[in-house]
Amino acid sequence: MEHVEGSAQIIKEESVPGEVEGRHIIQHVTQEEQGQLLFHEETIDLGGDEFGSEENETVSEDSSNFIDKLNEHMMESVIISDSPNNSEDDAGELGCLQDIVEPAEDKSDHSLEQVLDKEEIVTLSNDSETDHDDTPKDISDMTSDSRASLKEELTQEETKDEPIFGNEGTIDSTLSEDKTNPEEQMSEISSSQSSKDDAIPVCTIFSQSNQANSQPQLFLHDGFEPQMVKSPSFSSASETSAKTPPQVVQPSPSLSKFFGDTVNTNSLASDFFDSFTTSTFISVSNPNAGTSVSEKLSSLSTPVGESSPDSADPSYSMGIERSESGVSTACLETCQSPKPFSQIQAVFAGSDDPFATALNMSEIDRRNDAWLPSEETRNVLISVATQQYSTVFIDKENLTMPGLKFDNIQGDAVKDLMLRFLGEQAAAKRQVLNANSVEQSFVGLKQLILWFVRLALLVKLSLFQNAEMEFEPFGNLDQPDLYYEYYPHVYPGRRGSMVPFSMRILHAELQQYLGNPQESLDRLHNMKTICSQILRNLEQGLAEDGSMNNITQENRHASVQLWRSRLGRVMYSMANCLLMMKDYVLAVDAYHSVIKYYPEQEPQLLSGIGRIFLQIGDIKMAEKYFQDVERVAQKLDGLQSKIMVLMNRAFLHLGQNNFAEAHRFFTEILRTEPTNAVANNNAAVCLLYLGKLKDSLRQLEGMVQQDPKHYLHESVLFNLTTMYELESSRSMQKKQSLLEAVAVKEGDSFNTQCLKLG
Amino acid sequence: MEVNPPKQEHLLALKVMRLTKPTLFTNIPVTCEDRDLPGDLFNQLMKDDPSTVNGAETLMLGEMLTLPQNFGNIFLGETFSSYISVHNDSNQIVKDILVKADLQTSSQRLNLSASNATVAELKSDCCIDDVIHHEVKEIGTHILVCAVSYTTQSGEKMYFRKFFKFQVLKPLDVKTKFYNAESDLSSVTDEVFLEAQIQNITTSPMFMEKVSLEPSMMYNVVELNTVKQVGEGVSTFGSRTYLQPLDTRQYLYCLKPKQEFAEKAGIIKGVTVIGKLDIVWKTNLGERGRLQTSQLQRMAPGYGDVRLSLEAIPDTVNLEEPFHITCKITNCSSERTMDLVLEMCNTNSIHWCGVSGRQLGKLNPSSSLYLALTLLSSVQGLQSVSGLRLTDTFLKRTYEYDDIAQVCVVSSTIQVEG
Repeated sequence: MEHVEGSAQIIKEESVPGEVEGRHIIQHVTQEEQGQLLFHEETIDLGGDEFGSEENETVSEDSSNFIDKLNEHMMESVIISDSPNNSEDDAGELGCLQDIVEPAEDKSDHSLEQVLDKEEIVTLSNDSETDHDDTPKDISDMTSDSRASLKEELTQEETKDEPIFGNEGTIDSTLSEDKTNPEEQMSEISSSQSSKDDAIPVCTIFSQSNQANSQPQLFLHDGFEPQMVKSPSFSSASETSAKTPPQVVQPSPSLSKFFGDTVNTNSLASDFFDSFTTSTFISVSNPNAGTSVSEKLSSLSTPVGESSPDSADPSYSMGIERSESGVSTACLETCQSPKPFSQIQAVFAGSDDPFATALNMSEIDRRNDAWLPSEETRNVLISVATQQYSTVFIDKENLTMPGLKFDNIQGDAVKDLMLRFLGEQAAAKRQVLNANSVEQSFVGLKQLILWFVRLALLVKLSLFQNAEMEFEPFGNLDQPDLYYEYYPHVYPGRRGSMVPFSMRILHAELQQYLGNPQESLDRLHNMKTICSQILRNLEQGLAEDGSMNNITQENRHASVQLWRSRLGRVMYSMANCLLMMKDYVLAVDAYHSVIKYYPEQEPQLLSGIGRIFLQIGDIKMAEKYFQDVERVAQKLDGLQSKIMVLMNRAFLHLGQNNFAEAHRFFTEILRTEPTNAVANNNAAVCLLYLGKLKDSLRQLEGMVQQDPKHYLHESVLFNLTTMYELESSRSMQKKQSLLEAVAVKEGDSFNTQCLKLG
Repeated sequence: MEVNPPKQEHLLALKVMRLTKPTLFTNIPVTCEDRDLPGDLFNQLMKDDPSTVNGAETLMLGEMLTLPQNFGNIFLGETFSSYISVHNDSNQIVKDILVKADLQTSSQRLNLSASNATVAELKSDCCIDDVIHHEVKEIGTHILVCAVSYTTQSGEKMYFRKFFKFQVLKPLDVKTKFYNAESDLSSVTDEVFLEAQIQNITTSPMFMEKVSLEPSMMYNVVELNTVKQVGEGVSTFGSRTYLQPLDTRQYLYCLKPKQEFAEKAGIIKGVTVIGKLDIVWKTNLGERGRLQTSQLQRMAPGYGDVRLSLEAIPDTVNLEEPFHITCKITNCSSERTMDLVLEMCNTNSIHWCGVSGRQLGKLNPSSSLYLALTLLSSVQGLQSVSGLRLTDTFLKRTYEYDDIAQVCVVSSTIQVEG
């Protein structure tokens, strides 16, 4: 049959016309509910995901494993159970009961025949639209209530000829429980009650013969009772639950199991929908894609040393990369082992006149290069300074030995896609900047700043792992040879860090993109401490590094300004990192402190905090922050603050589920600034939620056509392709024309996944 | 679908997309200082990027909305929203189009379509749009069944359906525990404290908008989740208004029986319905969910016919030195006078002083007597006072009282030195 699929699979977009199909589906639902009957060949399993593997075992009787599993399952189900009308649906429950009692009495009678019989009962009339209100419910849906009532029913030994496979285990255990406490049909309630009473410090205990709790291990010792939760709209049904005996305390299922299921079901559901409108788009913006980001990264990153330098095709590699290889060899030479200074000097001397450099140690250099080395590094630097002409032997490990960790071609993903979809001719038109198009004007390659540029570009290209590999030799950016003092001959009199401040920021931030936000925070805190110390030094009339230099008032002021702004930059990174870690309380605090350092950004930052609260779902707090923005913005005049206020209002409506109002505000922004990309995009998104796909598409397409250079942004393209997929089965053509547009404009760093062409 | 076209080519294409709230785009800021080699380059790049915040480019959280990137999870109590689009892929006009969206759950089948009217005609490259909403009320497998029927230009009646399956998961784990207020003995106050532990078992942060206890008609409730500070109620949870995944919060409520019920019942006996918890939460951009627990039930502490409670007991006593406790014995029965005999049984650590098996005399219904007892402990540490037995000689029924209270037993030498 065409619909037969493995029981663990889901049907992907079965769109076979006609009634037959519908019936199958319904059967399916029914079967699922009934506890995984053996399937007939013409059926499809829609829901047997969790049970699929157990199907065969159902027939074997003595599978104790299976019983365990079922027990486990049942216990869990008590917790999961939700729908009150389900649990209190008498008809459904009876069905279950009957089914359960039967196998207990004559397990051996179970045969395929019976299963088939059952199936006939289950199979509904040809009309697929039949409703299934009386569908007996899955045992897994049972609440503790129903379980309790189940036991009562058992004593009545009411049976019908509707066996259900797969419930054997359940029954077994239920029965055996009953055996162990013969006269305690009701004792379960009382025992659970007494376990509740344990919480009271002083309490009387009856002398009862059956006082001993027959199943103590079943009860939670903390006295907490799990509660069913259900949708409030079922309240009418829920009132009836008062009739049922109090819930028996049940052990809570292991959460890992719960989550295992979650993952399982989730992935299945998404698979199913994926074929239509969503596909994973790996981007940092997706907070849930954390793991996949790193997976993706690892696939992007190239193994170290596997590609030989010769294989590099110059026409694709970037200019920086090529020039860097020069640097690396130079650096490697100098750093391979501790060498006499004369040698190092020779390498570094280059064309620079050391005396000229010394003269260049200006105010600005001192201000910018200041850094506080660690105790250990400082000692090395001092010894270098004091024994100027002797060789200072330093452990190799303490020296920086940077080098290119990969020099393979930086691939062009856009071109790859073009080759695939648009043919070679079109692909040939694609031009990326390459070595030849970059002027090789950097002569003084020995400066670390070049490393910073290379690493910054790697991060910009989202090649985080490559960046990390190349950062590795720099250690914590505190090795002695990263300070000017280490080269007294080359830079006589010059002090401070050769590592640019921005490189330290990059070094700290990088870890969070690699999934180690804690390491990022550690590094940032370290930076914060040093920045604060430098500021303190300046306040105390000292130079940045704490020395007793005479600094003019003017220069001191400039220095304080620079270091305050740097401290603010560190706080910014911290706040961003905390946001990535979803530690929203600390992130909000950190953004607040950024305002102190960048007061001119107050309205933007307050709006940002408001958006954080929107993300959490705390709409009231978001509103409070947006009101603060309006207060601040009142003082400022001008277009930008007006747009900000409108934007925030739109977001607030979004948070209140009012897409129509949100759309109105986004549109109002466009009236004052028609080219506002964010408002354009967001208005289009609102239109989609209002059911106006075509209008939404028109808006986005119009915007992209108007100024492709500006608006062909990853996020816009992602929205556009998602809508194309929703619009029609012919989305491919439209996506390919987008690709052509992208090819003209975007560089290497373009995230091709947003086109969903894969 | 591009890969597996249906066997029979249909003129119309049906597409469904779940509409969870959009997300905000975040960018990766790379900055440098003017003095660095790239100069203004990086900062200018970030300024030109439309997804950064104008004037605060380093702020990671942008303003650009992106559509949902995957189906995501759906939880009980949330609203399932979906976009249903039927597009005319052909170049001919299609007539009499009827689009129907049903949701099949384990217990029922619901029609979710906004309208069930037939659309007279659909031109080429046009589409019929519908956004459906449904508050999810059941856990487990749900199947969205979309059916499309139409008539081609040649008058042929066409029909196809598509099925979309998804699982509804449980968002919260709720556990409750009752504490009975022990009171001054003359009358039991009947106050009940309810502790509810609510755990977020989803994978995203959850803002708890409302957690309230709706008491049953017998009780008045006082919420104990705010602390009065300068006339203003401050949440006991502080500034952290949300629950991270797997975080648990404890809510505390005090329930007092209403006057009329307290008087009528005296000591409320047996199972009583306390009320139910109503929980409203929000997640990303205000995605809302709401759940209620079933009626919470509580078994009033059963004191039986004879209740023994403690009036006085020292918290710390010396090892092997006698100490005194005062017990109160109440006849809780309604009309039976009791004649009680007290027995005291030693345990491993607790030794009673005095005569075991003495008569306590007659005890009238609803009256009580006080009893001073002396005992000592032979073991250090936290010891449980156990071993009292009361026998009603009329009914020949014995009541056992163990673990009545605990005392801390310390060595007497330490006590002296201390």
